Amino acid sequence: MRHAALATGAAVVLGWPWAAPRYFVFLASLIAINAIVAIGLNLLSGYTNQLSFGHAGFLAIGAYAAAILTIRAPALPVPVTLLIAGLVTAAVGLALGVPCLRLEGLYLAMATLAFGFVVVEAILSLDWLTRGNDGLRVPAARLGPWMLSTDTSRYYLVMAVAALLIVAAVNISRTRTGRALLAVRESEIAAQASGIHLAAYKTLAFVVSAFYTGVAGGLFALVVGFLSPDSFDVFLSVDFVAMIIVGGLGSILGSVVGAAVITTLNDSLAGFQNYRPLIFGAILITSMLFMPGGIASALGKIAGARSRPSRQGDDR
Amino acid sequence: MISRSSLLLLLTLTLSVLPAAAQTPGVSDTEIVIGGSNSFSGPLAFTGEQITKYGVDLYFRVINDAGGIHGRKVRTVYYDDAYRPQDAVANTKKLVEQDHVFAIIIPQGSPPVVATLDYLEENKVPLLFPYQSSPVTRGKRYVMQGMTLSDRSSKMMIDYLAGQRKVKKFAVLYQDDEYGKSFLTAFEKDLARYGLKLVAAESVKRGVTDVSAQVAKLQAAKPEVTFLVLVPGPGAQALKERQKIGWTDTIMVSTGPLTDERYLALAGDAAEGVEGLSLWPDPVNSDLPGVKLYREHMRRYFPQNEPNRYSIAGYFAAMLFAEGAKRAGRNLTRDSLMTALESFKGYETGILPPITIGRDHETQKQGFWVRVEKGNFRPMTDWLKSE
Repeated sequence: MRHAALATGAAVVLGWPWAAPRYFVFLASLIAINAIVAIGLNLLSGYTNQLSFGHAGFLAIGAYAAAILTIRAPALPVPVTLLIAGLVTAAVGLALGVPCLRLEGLYLAMATLAFGFVVVEAILSLDWLTRGNDGLRVPAARLGPWMLSTDTSRYYLVMAVAALLIVAAVNISRTRTGRALLAVRESEIAAQASGIHLAAYKTLAFVVSAFYTGVAGGLFALVVGFLSPDSFDVFLSVDFVAMIIVGGLGSILGSVVGAAVITTLNDSLAGFQNYRPLIFGAILITSMLFMPGGIASALGKIAGARSRPSRQGDDR
Repeated sequence: MISRSSLLLLLTLTLSVLPAAAQTPGVSDTEIVIGGSNSFSGPLAFTGEQITKYGVDLYFRVINDAGGIHGRKVRTVYYDDAYRPQDAVANTKKLVEQDHVFAIIIPQGSPPVVATLDYLEENKVPLLFPYQSSPVTRGKRYVMQGMTLSDRSSKMMIDYLAGQRKVKKFAVLYQDDEYGKSFLTAFEKDLARYGLKLVAAESVKRGVTDVSAQVAKLQAAKPEVTFLVLVPGPGAQALKERQKIGWTDTIMVSTGPLTDERYLALAGDAAEGVEGLSLWPDPVNSDLPGVKLYREHMRRYFPQNEPNRYSIAGYFAAMLFAEGAKRAGRNLTRDSLMTALESFKGYETGILPPITIGRDHETQKQGFWVRVEKGNFRPMTDWLKSE
C-alpha cells in the first residue's frame, strides 16, 4: 500500500514536466524549494519548539552563496555549489543557535526576526560582493556537460535534491536524534532527566535547519535567476511559519503539504491584487480554527487512522 | 445535455481561434490581452494601483468604449508582486505562459523589472514602458523605456543649473540603491563637463526616515545646490530637517521621480522654495489639452479617484500602446508593434511634447524646471532637452 503510493508519487513527479504546462513546472520547483525550507524549519520549530521568524535570512545566505559561487566559479558542479551553500548557512546557523540557547518562545522569535533584518542589512553593506540593492543576476549553472537553462532541467535538479533531503529528514526523525528532539519539545526538563544533552540537541536542530534552508536557498537562486534584498523580506519568513503551521508541526509530510498549499495559494491569489493579503489571512485563520493540528493530522483523521489527541509527532 | 449543434459551434469557434492564437499570443479577432506584475501590496502599493487600475485601465476603457483598436477590445491582467523580485518572475512567467499576454505593460520598480528582463527578451515579449529610471533596461530589442532615464535627467539638470544659472557648488543626498547610484554617477559625469566636482555626497539607506546626520554633513560642505535623489518619505524628511536647523543658503532640488504631489504634501511648508525637475505637467492644474482630457476621463470613469502623476503615467503608457497597436494595423504581432512604436515621429499626446521614439526606444527624454510656490509646482522653464 505504501509502496504503491510512493511509486505513484514518483511517477507523477517524474512525468510532471511532460504532462503539465511550462508554468506549472516552474511552480512545482518553487513548491519543492519551499518544502525543503519548511522541513528545515519544522525540524527546528516542530521538533524542538524553537520558533524562528528569520528563515528568510537563512534562505538569503544560501541563495547568495550559491549565486556568487555560480558567477565566480562556473566550473563547479551544481551539487558541490549547493552543498557549500548549505554548509555556509549551517555555519551561520551554528553561530546563531548557540547564543539563542538561552532564549525561548517569544524572545527567540524576536531574536530570529532581528536576524532576518541583519542578513538583509549585511547584503546591502557587502555590495562589492552582493551588488547590494541593484540585485544579482544568476547565470545558468552547470551539471557536468549540461547547462541547467530550462525550467524542466532545473525542475529535475530541484526534485532530486528535495527527494534526497526528505528521505534524510524521515531518517533523522526515526533515529535516536529525532526522538531526542521530540522529547525536548514535549518537556525540556524530562528530556534532560532522561540523559538528553539539551544544549547539544537544540544547537543541532538549528544547524540542520539552517543547512536545509541554505540548500533550498541555492536552488532558489538557480530557479528564480535574480536575487535582491527585496526578495527576503520578513513576510517571506512569516510565509514559512505559515507553511508548517498549516501543514502540521512536527510532521515531514505536513511540511511538504503546507509548502504546496501556501505557495499555490500565494500564486493564485496574486490576481486578486490589493485583496491578496486579506484573503490570504482569512484562509490562514480559517484553516487554523478548523485544523489546529495542520493538514497532516486532519488527513490522518479523515483516513480513519487511529488518532490519539496529539498525533502531531507523526513523521509520515 | 449539450446539443450537437452547440458542440459543432464550439468546435468551429475553437478552430477559428486557435490558428490566430498560435501566431500571436494575446491577440484574437476580438481582443488584445496585455498585462503586468505590479505592486498592489508592499511599499509601493499606492503607486502600483494608481498606475494600473486608474491609469492604464482608464485609457483602455475610453478606447474600448469607442470601439477598440481595429475592432479589438483591450483587456488587462495584473498580478501583485509586493515589490518582491521572485514574485515578479513568477507573475511574469504566468502572464506569458498561462495567460498568453501579448505584451507586458508598465511594471514598477528596478528590482522586479530587472528580474524579468532576460526572460522577456529571450521569449520576445515586449516589455513596455517600465516605471523605473535606471538605464539598466537599455539596449534590448523588446524593451520600450518609460520614465526619463536618470542620465538624461542628470544632463538636463546640470546643463540648466551649471550652464544657465552658473551654479558652482553641488551636493547630493541619494538613496543607496540602483535609483540613487545611477543618478550619482550621472551627476559626476555631467559636472566633469563643466570642470566641476560634487562638494559632498551622502547616502540614505532605503526605508530609513531619519536623515539628520546626512543633512548636517551636507550643510558643512556649503553647497549652493543640494540634489535630493530620494523617495517621498525621506525626501520630505530632508526638507523638514533643513527647515529645523535653519539651513537657508542652499537650494534643494528634487529629481524627476521624486517631484510629485505626495512628497509636497508630506513636506508641508518646508517644501516652499524647493525646486525640481518635473517629468509630467501638473495633473491637477495643467491646461494642456491632453491633461484636461485625462481629468475629464477620470471624472467620468473613476469620479472618486483624484488625478495624480502615477495614474497619468499609466494613462500615457496605454495611450502609446494603443497608438502603436493602431499603426501596426489589423495584423498585429509583437514585432509589428515594436516596429510601429519605433516609427513614432512627433506624435502629439497633448500631455508631453511631441513624441519621437526611434531606434533608442526611449519615449520620454525631457523634463521642465519647477519651483514650489504656495504649495504648488510653478513651472520656471519650458521643456528642457536632453540630447
